[in-house]
Amino acid sequence: MSQCCGPNGPDTRPKNRREFLRRAGCGVGMLALSSLLDREGLLTGQARAAEAARANPLLPKAPHFPARAKSVIFLFMSGGPSHVDLFDPKPDLIRLAGQPIPESFGAFKTRRAVAKNKLLAPVRSFRKHGQSGLDVSEFLPHIAGCADDLCVLRGCYGDSVTHPESVYLMNTGSILMGRPSLGAWATYGLGTENQNMPSFVVMPDPSGWVKGGAPAWGNGYMPAVYQGTLLRGGESPILHLKTPNGISASQQQSTVDLINQLNRDDLRPGEEDSELSARIAAYELAFRMQAHAPEVVDISRETEATKKLYGLDNQTTGEFGLRCLLARRMVERGVRFVQLYCGDTNGWDGHSDVEGNHAKLCAESDRPVAGLLNDLKSRGLLDSTLVIWGGEFGRMPMSEGSNGRDHNPHGFCMWMAGGGVKGGQVIGATDAVGLRAEQERTHVHDLHATILHLLGFDHTRLTFRHNSRNERLTDVAGEIIAKAIA
Amino acid sequence: MQLIYVIALFATCALAFDGPAARPADGPPGESKRKAVGVQSLSLVGDPPHWAFQPIRRIEPPMVQNTGWAKTPVDRFILAQLEANGLSPAPRAGKEELIRRTAFDLVGLPPTPAEIDDFVNDPSPDAYAKLIDRLLASPHYGERWGRHWLDVARFAETDGFEHDTVRPHAWRYRDYVIQSFNLDKPYDRFIREQIAGDQLYPEDNQALLATAFNLLGPDMVDSSDQVQRRQITLNDMTDTAAQAFLGITLSCARCHNHKFEPLTQKDYYRFQAFFTPAVFRNDLPVPSPSERQAHQAALDEYNRLGKSRLEELAALEAPYRQKLYERKLAKLSPEAQAAIKTPAAERTTEQSNQIQETEALLEVTDKEILNSMSQEDQSRQRALKTALGKLPKPPALPMTLALQDPKKPAAKAFILVRGDHNNRGDQVQPGFPSVLEDSIGSRTRPGSAVDLPGGERQVTPRSQSQIASEATRRADLAEWLASSDNPLTARVMVNRIWQHHFGRGIVPTPSDFGRQGLPPTHPDLLDWLATEFIASGWSVKEMHKLLLLSSVYQQSSRASAEALARDPGNQLYSRRNRLRLEGEIIRDSLLAVSGALSPRMGGPGVFPPIPDDLQKAAKAWTVSRNPEDRNRRSIYIFSRRNLRFPFLEVFDAPDSNLSCPERSQSTSAPQSLALLNADEVLAASRATVARLMREAASNVERIKLAYRLTLGRGPTEREQTLAAEFLKQAPWSEFCRALFNLNAFVYVD
Repeated sequence: MSQCCGPNGPDTRPKNRREFLRRAGCGVGMLALSSLLDREGLLTGQARAAEAARANPLLPKAPHFPARAKSVIFLFMSGGPSHVDLFDPKPDLIRLAGQPIPESFGAFKTRRAVAKNKLLAPVRSFRKHGQSGLDVSEFLPHIAGCADDLCVLRGCYGDSVTHPESVYLMNTGSILMGRPSLGAWATYGLGTENQNMPSFVVMPDPSGWVKGGAPAWGNGYMPAVYQGTLLRGGESPILHLKTPNGISASQQQSTVDLINQLNRDDLRPGEEDSELSARIAAYELAFRMQAHAPEVVDISRETEATKKLYGLDNQTTGEFGLRCLLARRMVERGVRFVQLYCGDTNGWDGHSDVEGNHAKLCAESDRPVAGLLNDLKSRGLLDSTLVIWGGEFGRMPMSEGSNGRDHNPHGFCMWMAGGGVKGGQVIGATDAVGLRAEQERTHVHDLHATILHLLGFDHTRLTFRHNSRNERLTDVAGEIIAKAIA
Repeated sequence: MQLIYVIALFATCALAFDGPAARPADGPPGESKRKAVGVQSLSLVGDPPHWAFQPIRRIEPPMVQNTGWAKTPVDRFILAQLEANGLSPAPRAGKEELIRRTAFDLVGLPPTPAEIDDFVNDPSPDAYAKLIDRLLASPHYGERWGRHWLDVARFAETDGFEHDTVRPHAWRYRDYVIQSFNLDKPYDRFIREQIAGDQLYPEDNQALLATAFNLLGPDMVDSSDQVQRRQITLNDMTDTAAQAFLGITLSCARCHNHKFEPLTQKDYYRFQAFFTPAVFRNDLPVPSPSERQAHQAALDEYNRLGKSRLEELAALEAPYRQKLYERKLAKLSPEAQAAIKTPAAERTTEQSNQIQETEALLEVTDKEILNSMSQEDQSRQRALKTALGKLPKPPALPMTLALQDPKKPAAKAFILVRGDHNNRGDQVQPGFPSVLEDSIGSRTRPGSAVDLPGGERQVTPRSQSQIASEATRRADLAEWLASSDNPLTARVMVNRIWQHHFGRGIVPTPSDFGRQGLPPTHPDLLDWLATEFIASGWSVKEMHKLLLLSSVYQQSSRASAEALARDPGNQLYSRRNRLRLEGEIIRDSLLAVSGALSPRMGGPGVFPPIPDDLQKAAKAWTVSRNPEDRNRRSIYIFSRRNLRFPFLEVFDAPDSNLSCPERSQSTSAPQSLALLNADEVLAASRATVARLMREAASNVERIKLAYRLTLGRGPTEREQTLAAEFLKQAPWSEFCRALFNLNAFVYVD
């Protein structure tokens, strides 16, 4: 439990009367505040953003230092995929299978009291792939083909044996509720390149949301504008995007024209830069979003080859393939952070028959994920797009029932690719059977620190003041995984 | 624009990137910060003592020149600063503006055209005072101000986490809050009830359910570590009480001494120790005496009539029940079995956890019993149940979340090293933060500080022997919090009231009165108001009147060139701020204008429609069957942690997981999309058209009425022309939709 206080973050409040008045009084409105503060911190020396851009808290901002990753695609394997069956081969687990875990491993927490159960050998065999000779199980032949792009973190660990707490930890840095998500932090820090789209887009699995639900992509104590926007299929990919039935496009236009006219008339001296002006600009943005967002989700102009690459030609892979393709289309159009959930409410939660559970989900996701990596690469986008793969935790080396595995937050795998990550390598290791992270241990805070670093942020300085405390995604912890960075 | 808003946001929860050069060496830049606001520096110089921990000062309002404008002492405090800066206040707002402002501020609903006319045409000098009285007497007042408190109380009606299970009784706390505001319950009593209603007013069922306040946060019910779960709940109630009532960030002292405030880790756990022994209930019956009596009578009658059958049924099921239980028990791990067989008092923490986790596995259901019965017993059971089913059932008792005293000796409280519940440090006794104890010390309490062995200093308003008694522990805290000698309590509350009337607190960080928070812009005024508040018997309604009757409140929002130039941030209150309405109030206004708003108050939360895909994804959002329930005020919309109501969410409704003293105010394209395209707005547009057709005869009159309904004023000539022009091409519903999107609709002058 380390949801504590106290990064004594820098005080960004005005230091004296003159500064205060300068900040407050130089004629910029609330929404210009971000650029104002940027000037104080991040954007020192940069010219003030254009008048129009001021109306938008999501205007692009420079990070603390130049970075290769401009956007992120987080492929969240909800339910917790089994590291020992996918990316972390354990010869000793084969050797010791059928026996209880040796006493030398000591006591550890489990969700379902499986500690004394017999060890279960990896349910599929592993092979080495690519020039790097990265171990990937036979479950994932297509991702294996991208081995040299992957940086597999085998020493990950978290804080809780339950789903929602671990989902929140992985997404918000705390097992408790109410903190902003990684995507919210990224858009808060960077704004977005495409004002016609939301900056942080979430595509949950259509068959069910992750355990813990919407707070996993929430804004916590930040303004609502930073939360993840759900993207759905159909004509209205974003809530309230579509002009209502029975209202023509030209009618919508003239109604908005009247709104803008009356709103402009109502502005008073001194309000040129105000929140009220910002509302006028927001209507412009909304109108543009209405025009552009449907195009982003329209894949009719993608080639057959591309569709095939993502497995859209196949019933098993089609659904996740489509979402992966949409993720690429969004990144291509400047969306900052895209999060895809793979697996319904239970997802990869293989408490029984982990083989069957993983076989199904791997079959559904392997080709789309590999397709995404290859497509990003061939379009020259992989270098500027950080792809993250992983769930809220891994799974236990011993069996639950005869052929399942319980949750394991003590040691598990994640991988990253692109976005300034050095591929074709493994960092960290679990113990002999895959129970605990043992070498080059990577807490979730470390992972977050690294992701922020790849986006150009010092995680100790990306802060948001809440209740007079400069809050951080990484709380008071977080070490960058230096070896992961190219 | 009113730049004051920039500052308010800036001060609290706005964007706070920090530059490399901005890091303070250690601790707050005390002196420079005080200068920062620059309006008035406190006379208390030096670090410490911090102003907010000092007793409230009795202060005479300053002398001013423009005595005609300064009608109330509040005005004199404000005007003195304006005059010192060579500024004049803005003229009084027009009467139409004033009634709209006051109505939104007090009841959160737009005034009707008739109400506007009544007020505008009332020439009497006390017309405005009468208006305030009428609005304060409206039951909608509690709905408006209750919502502000619910933000602070992180109110929601589900557990959150994976299952987001419904708390079926949580709405009673919401109704309690609304009722408390409507009754003008003295604020000190409001505090006492919420902290220790069960101990102080055991006969008052309202006071019993008030303690739900402490349990409103998220809860990981099926946590794998039940000790940790309880600790998280204790932390949440400690942090929230300290923020809500004292305006201090005690939470920052949970893992180590506070880095910036004179609050130690020991202070944290001493404060928490007031709560440590409490039993957390989610199903405490809170019947009124008559409900209790009726229930008992009905129950007795049921038992009397069904006696023989009930006994026979129990005897019939007992052997099956026992067998099923034993079979289930045998399936548990040996450790779990051992834990269950260990007497409750002797169980280890590990064993208590195990029991929490396995309890559900041991439950024997009626269905299992039925399935395991012989055919003969099955039919007998069915016959008995059918017969019993025909007897009149006692009505369910109202229940609540609540704190209760334990029946066993109180759990000991310890400092938790680095906040880790597995790492206990020294034992602590309940006690108040020492910095406050030093400032108000023995003045409030007959029993003064007691030094315990080990350097522990314990203070209690009661005698030493009494604090050991569980029956008074939280009551001690409640009395101390609600004491007129507490330097923070009254200041924090008057500041919250000011904040919601003026858009920014006198202390712009409403839940942080510490060194890290921003200092008051008008410290003398704050103390004067706090003194008045206490003198009025902690009457919140009196405080509203005091503020609203001031000339400061009644200023126009139109700024003079001079004011814009010299008070750009409106730090000096040289005019009124234009304030945006909250999502709830925007939705309520849509309903009110269109005539659809249901006036019904209270009761379980309602479920207006939400988009289909969200409805599928969220558990248990079954749209209310009664159409009226879809048009209730937004405060009655069921508050689900894992799915905020979309229309409110987009307008920055807080996420209800942490206490929210001040909502963020984003302006975004999704808000515009919601006001343009959401069903809520389309339905309101259609209904308003019907109303216009019904209530006005000509197009000119209809445009006028539409303006009066939505914006509280008639159209200007230009607006009348633009509207007529627009309506040549577009239907009336489009005109209404446009009005609902105007700044003038979602902002209040």
